[in-house]
Amino acid sequence: MLPFTSRISEPGGGRRNYLYLTLVMATMDFKVKYDNSVLGYLWSLLKPLLMFGTLYLVFSVFVRWNVENYQLYLLLGVILWNFFSEVTLNSMVLLESKASILKKIYFPRWVVVVASSVTSLLTLLLNICVFFVFFFVSGTELRASSILLVLYIVELYLLATGMAFLLCGLYPKFRDTHHIWEVFVQLGFWATPIVYPIAIVPDRYHRLIFLNPAARIVQGCREALIGPGTDFLTATNHLIVLAAAGGLFVAGLAVFNRLSRSFAEDL
Amino acid sequence: MIRLEKVSKRFVLPHERKHTLRQRFVSIFQRNIYERFYALRDIDMDVQSGEFVGIIGKNGSGKSTLLKLIAGVLEPTAGSVIVNDGVAPFLELGVGFHGELSVRDNVFLYGALLGMSRAEVRLKYDGIIDFAGLRDFVEAKLKNLSSGMQVRLGFSITVSVERPILLVDEVLAVGDLEFRQKCYNAFEAFKRNGRTILFVSHDLGVIERFCDRVALLEKGVVKSDGDPKSVLAIYQNQG
Repeated sequence: MLPFTSRISEPGGGRRNYLYLTLVMATMDFKVKYDNSVLGYLWSLLKPLLMFGTLYLVFSVFVRWNVENYQLYLLLGVILWNFFSEVTLNSMVLLESKASILKKIYFPRWVVVVASSVTSLLTLLLNICVFFVFFFVSGTELRASSILLVLYIVELYLLATGMAFLLCGLYPKFRDTHHIWEVFVQLGFWATPIVYPIAIVPDRYHRLIFLNPAARIVQGCREALIGPGTDFLTATNHLIVLAAAGGLFVAGLAVFNRLSRSFAEDL
Repeated sequence: MIRLEKVSKRFVLPHERKHTLRQRFVSIFQRNIYERFYALRDIDMDVQSGEFVGIIGKNGSGKSTLLKLIAGVLEPTAGSVIVNDGVAPFLELGVGFHGELSVRDNVFLYGALLGMSRAEVRLKYDGIIDFAGLRDFVEAKLKNLSSGMQVRLGFSITVSVERPILLVDEVLAVGDLEFRQKCYNAFEAFKRNGRTILFVSHDLGVIERFCDRVALLEKGVVKSDGDPKSVLAIYQNQG
């Protein structure tokens, strides 16, 4: 028997449901990434945890910074930055790995970028759960402002995905975009208060550091969850970050849509 | 209905392809040598709903480019491509497969890629698996299946996409006798259902058997378009 009926759906060629495709692609990438198992996920935790462990060793044991809850401080920063670097860098790799599909089947190309960012978002949420395990084990009290984390994650998602759109738009024509961006991610890691508390930075550099919306997000998350300080928990700060992240997202998507028309030839 | 009006597709083939900023920087003072190459030139073609059109021609005559333009994967350099109905955009079997995923997951992924909704895939899932004869392998990773099994699965999903227009690029090149028979049955059913099919193949026997109309491409232009017998005769006579 043939697996179809005589019915022909969508006579007018209606709009297809690309959101479903995005979700399927994201969950399948997630499955492949973690080999469809819990152990697979735990394995992937090794990278951020090793990074955390190394930095913790250097800055807590060797340098001996006296920051309250430094381990939580550091872990949160590493997890958030890991998400940003993963979304922006992996989207280019995924675009390349899906070249054979993009050359043969038509669907809007943003699906690939959004799917890859959703995959990383799932990882981020799992990592946040791990963070909370550490959080409660260390006996830190949960503050009411913790709820703001949700808003910050939305902002970070928009920012990272917007950047991924820009990079992926350029990538097929300029393959070294990936290498160049890797360097910027490294730079950004040190230009963002992840390893160090913002308090050790001389005041006159604060303006410069907080030109970077990612730095505002990381600092905001810290203040919301761990403290000290509440300077970044203001509505103004959210407005600035949302404007920057939202603007980048819209601009990135526009550039991407323009450039992606020739992907089938360039990839 | 598909309408192509004065469609041209030009590929720019640099003698040395520059893929990176570094290469561009290093060669700032070098003159770029390009070769412009028309894969298709001024194609005018109308395909009515329900037609089964075969497309033949030598390698490099522009057959696949034509299908890709209709599928929307490529944009024409000039002219316009108008497609009024939903296209089932498959050009080759199994392009979207992922070897690390199970057969079940691949059905959902490939189905979504071809434009099926979740409900649609669920509804057809059993039919797809049975038609492919893979009932015992749904949990197996795709890479562990034989290539014949993979082709069967790809075909099974592909034919279950119910869009008015189907684009078929050389699916019969692989597969055994039984598989071919299944393909023929599917084509018969498509014809009965009144679907529009564009069919690229080098298998002239199949072209003659199914097509209402055949277009012969040569170096990017339509050399002949019409009744299968006469077009096939032209193709065979040119040697």
